[in-house]
Amino acid sequence: MDDDQTSSPEKSTTSISPKPHITWSDSYTKAHIAIESLTSIIPSNPPTLASSDTPALSLLHDSDITANISRLLRQPDSGAVDDNLCGWLYDTFHSSELDLQLVVLRFLPVVAGMYLSRATLHKPLAGFESVLLAIYAHETAARNGQAVSVSIPDLSHPSIYHEMKQVTKNSSTELHLAVITPSLEPHGTVRSTRRARIVGVALELYYSKISQIPMGSKIEFCEFCKIWSGQIDPDSGIIDDDENNSERSKKSEGEGRKGRIDLPWDLLQPILRILGHCLMCPGEKELFEAAFGACRCLHARSLHDINPKAILATESLLKLAKMADESNGDHRDYTEIEVTNVIRI
Amino acid sequence: MSEGESQDLVEFDSDPSVRQVIANGVCMRTAVVEAKLDEGNIEEAESALREGLSLNFEEARALLGKLEYQRGNVEGALRVFDGIDLQAAIQRMQHSLGDKQTSKKGRARSESTHAVSQHATNLVLEAIYLKAKSLQKLGKLTEAAQECKSVLDAVEKIFSDGIPDVMVENKLQETVSHAVELLPELCKQAGSYSEAMSAYRRALLSQWNLDNDCCARIQKAFAVFLLYSGVEVAPPSLAVQIDGSYVPKNNLEEAILLLMILMRKNYLGKTKWDPSVLEHLTFALSLCSQTSVLVKQLEEIMPGVMPRVDRWKTLALSFSGAGQNKSALDLLRKSLHQCEDPDDLMSLLLAAKICSEDVFLASEGVKYAQKAIANSHGSNAHLKGVGLRMLGLCLGKQAKIASSDFERSRLQSEALKSLDGAVALERENSDLIFELGIQYAEHRNLDAAQRYAEKYIDATGGSMIKGWRLLALVLSSQQRFLEAEVVTDAALDETSKWDQGPLLRMKAKLKISQSLHKDAIETYRYLLALVQAQKKSCGPPSAAPQVEDDKINEYEVWHGLAKLYSSLSHWKDAEICLEKARAMKEYSAETLHTEGVMHERQGHLDEALAAYINALLLEPKYVPCKILIGALLCKMGSKMLPVARTLLSDALRIEPTNSMAWYHLGMVHKDDGRIADAVDCFQAASMLEESDPIESFSSIL
Repeated sequence: MDDDQTSSPEKSTTSISPKPHITWSDSYTKAHIAIESLTSIIPSNPPTLASSDTPALSLLHDSDITANISRLLRQPDSGAVDDNLCGWLYDTFHSSELDLQLVVLRFLPVVAGMYLSRATLHKPLAGFESVLLAIYAHETAARNGQAVSVSIPDLSHPSIYHEMKQVTKNSSTELHLAVITPSLEPHGTVRSTRRARIVGVALELYYSKISQIPMGSKIEFCEFCKIWSGQIDPDSGIIDDDENNSERSKKSEGEGRKGRIDLPWDLLQPILRILGHCLMCPGEKELFEAAFGACRCLHARSLHDINPKAILATESLLKLAKMADESNGDHRDYTEIEVTNVIRI
Repeated sequence: MSEGESQDLVEFDSDPSVRQVIANGVCMRTAVVEAKLDEGNIEEAESALREGLSLNFEEARALLGKLEYQRGNVEGALRVFDGIDLQAAIQRMQHSLGDKQTSKKGRARSESTHAVSQHATNLVLEAIYLKAKSLQKLGKLTEAAQECKSVLDAVEKIFSDGIPDVMVENKLQETVSHAVELLPELCKQAGSYSEAMSAYRRALLSQWNLDNDCCARIQKAFAVFLLYSGVEVAPPSLAVQIDGSYVPKNNLEEAILLLMILMRKNYLGKTKWDPSVLEHLTFALSLCSQTSVLVKQLEEIMPGVMPRVDRWKTLALSFSGAGQNKSALDLLRKSLHQCEDPDDLMSLLLAAKICSEDVFLASEGVKYAQKAIANSHGSNAHLKGVGLRMLGLCLGKQAKIASSDFERSRLQSEALKSLDGAVALERENSDLIFELGIQYAEHRNLDAAQRYAEKYIDATGGSMIKGWRLLALVLSSQQRFLEAEVVTDAALDETSKWDQGPLLRMKAKLKISQSLHKDAIETYRYLLALVQAQKKSCGPPSAAPQVEDDKINEYEVWHGLAKLYSSLSHWKDAEICLEKARAMKEYSAETLHTEGVMHERQGHLDEALAAYINALLLEPKYVPCKILIGALLCKMGSKMLPVARTLLSDALRIEPTNSMAWYHLGMVHKDDGRIADAVDCFQAASMLEESDPIESFSSIL
């Protein structure tokens, strides 16, 4: 953290007289330091990273290294107090460089996934917890502890997008205020009753950066959703005859349901928002398929929990995904001009 | 523009399958021009057009570009468009139109010139638009977005007072609408999300005179973008705010607003029904836990638009999500009717779940659950465990109002059998483990209850407060108060202070059970301090989503203290606390109960009786007062014994495990001379007394 302290005065001067190259070199060195310390954990860093102009972003998008890190985070003994990689994630997140924080968030699905699935196994997970708490603390500070709420519009009042000819005189038809995410208290440790909340808030931050997160991370997230749901994808392409069924259920008892976790709304809500993104803005078929599968699992799970809100949300996503899948890109382009043989002016 | 001229070139509209251009009343086949274009001779093609159709340079180029575009040769089209200075043309048009608009309203005179420059405007704007489309097709999205934006900028510049009505009818409007719709798509595809956002807002907030369908498409695309992109850009500025109108503050609000507007447009008959709009809205409102708003939206959909069973099911889910289970059940009864969709698993399970929460509906729930189990096959086989679980819960609830002991024990054992069957199918389902714990506890099978409570804490990693509470209560009913306290303290360690209310309350009661009254008072004091702190911070409003009614219940604290002081015969202190409790909750059987006990212990029997009876008037099923009245009447001589007996039997029907009721019933039997009956009752009482928890098990649910 030494370099963090030395760099902060530098940053304050840049805010007074903005000289872009200073911040650039600052974030450049920070990224280099991060990459160097990563080298001691993962020996095989390709030289291209060091020579890149934007090392943090190169790291974010380097599929070999990120796969390597993911693999290490999934080791059976990962996440303990002395886990160097978790330490690296913690330090890197504290660099307060946006690009480097993105790199850390990129691994949030694996960290949260491994952590939540192992939280009930009486294993020391302080390494994972430190990363999650760092992200939680960051978000708490960013929101100033405030709750995020939404006031649901009421169309009987005019809005910027519509007019009302006769404005209802009764202005007491007040808006519904919905608390999306309640206010945040600072937490120094993970208390078990606050575990879901802390991870949920971290996922909220992940969602707010999701347009910059590489696809691999999102696919990992979808895979963890399946594990968390504790359900087998009801439509994973396996033919439904009895033999297969019994095989599947055997398999599911063996490994499939191992990672099943409780899904309180604190956790489920950000999960659904992220899944919504993966389904509706995918761009890539692979991500769409992964999110579709995750959605089917979570839908099955919401039926198991008989959780009306979750049933509604997952069912809507499934229907929308089906519509998107069926139309499969051949919807009409309304911005195309009419092609006629006779061009009239 | 005489007919003779046109005959020279080609006969009008003779053959629509031949590509031809019509301008200034002249028609011309394009084969020659196309041939020249194919040879790469743009200039020659252009001059051929200019001569043939008497067009100026820009018009001819624009036309050539369009021709190339229509032929699918977008690269060629770009080459042609590059030859003209579109900006200069725009400026010229701006001048000519500007002159006219300022000149006079004398329409007759300017009509012809107007018409001419109108063509030119159309052609040039369309040319820029087609340039954007061509660039889009070549994957040059950023440039495409720039061109498309310049179309809109130009339109805004040229028609600074809005597009005149006379021009709305023609092709200009089409180009404008196209450009308005295309720009945000281009920005999105180019990855410049904040520009996409402002392009959408520009499309919807400026007056482009879009038709309903086009506007609806843009609104939907924008809503989808807001909902799923994860890009949070500043909300629309207050500048666009009309006085008193609603301005959304964030993505979710803006998306919901747009989707609601789209729903309204549909039921006003302005647009066709688009099922995806409802799905997006359902998703958004469920995320905000505002399914009550969704109910209203669903009710507004015109009949015949969506299948009624689907509507009922979605409505039922929304009602249930908003906590209005009664309405939800009414709708589910409709959708599960023989003629509708009687075998739908989701409806059956939800109906069973709702019924399992109400003793009077439990028997109805049993039927739903049984049907759900019968229908859990094929791809739905995985739901069999859920059906069994619901069956168990309904049976357990039904047992509570069973008319006979025999019936009750039959239902209870069936309930346990179902739950065991469910657990065999869903070993990992922690909720099920908890429910089994509760069932066993209420059944007073305390060893099994303790096992399941411990298992639940293990399975949830101690994350659920109710697990800790169950274990502590089970221990307390085994009279293992010290251990119960250890569990409570462990739970307090895992809880942040705003959630500690129920745990502290339990701790105080545990102290009382151990006759550590001072410690209990201390704990209550701490609780009161917490209440004050919570009031001051006016709170993390719902920082404790685990407990529905999350605020520490101040009433309960005062009432608990009143009971404590009363048991210590500190009448004055007790009265003060009771007064405070009454201020929180004016009509409460519990406070009347405590009041009565205080009177009785001070020897004011009439007042005591009055308080107990008042409590029963408020809550006819309030067991403690039934017992106390019975006990009092029992002391009033043999005439009153039958009344006392009725009251106590009634109390036992409601709460068969109440040891006090058994004890006093035993007293009645003894006074009436039925010694054998009395012995049975006393035996039951003594057995049960050792298994009374400090709070009822159902208080955790």
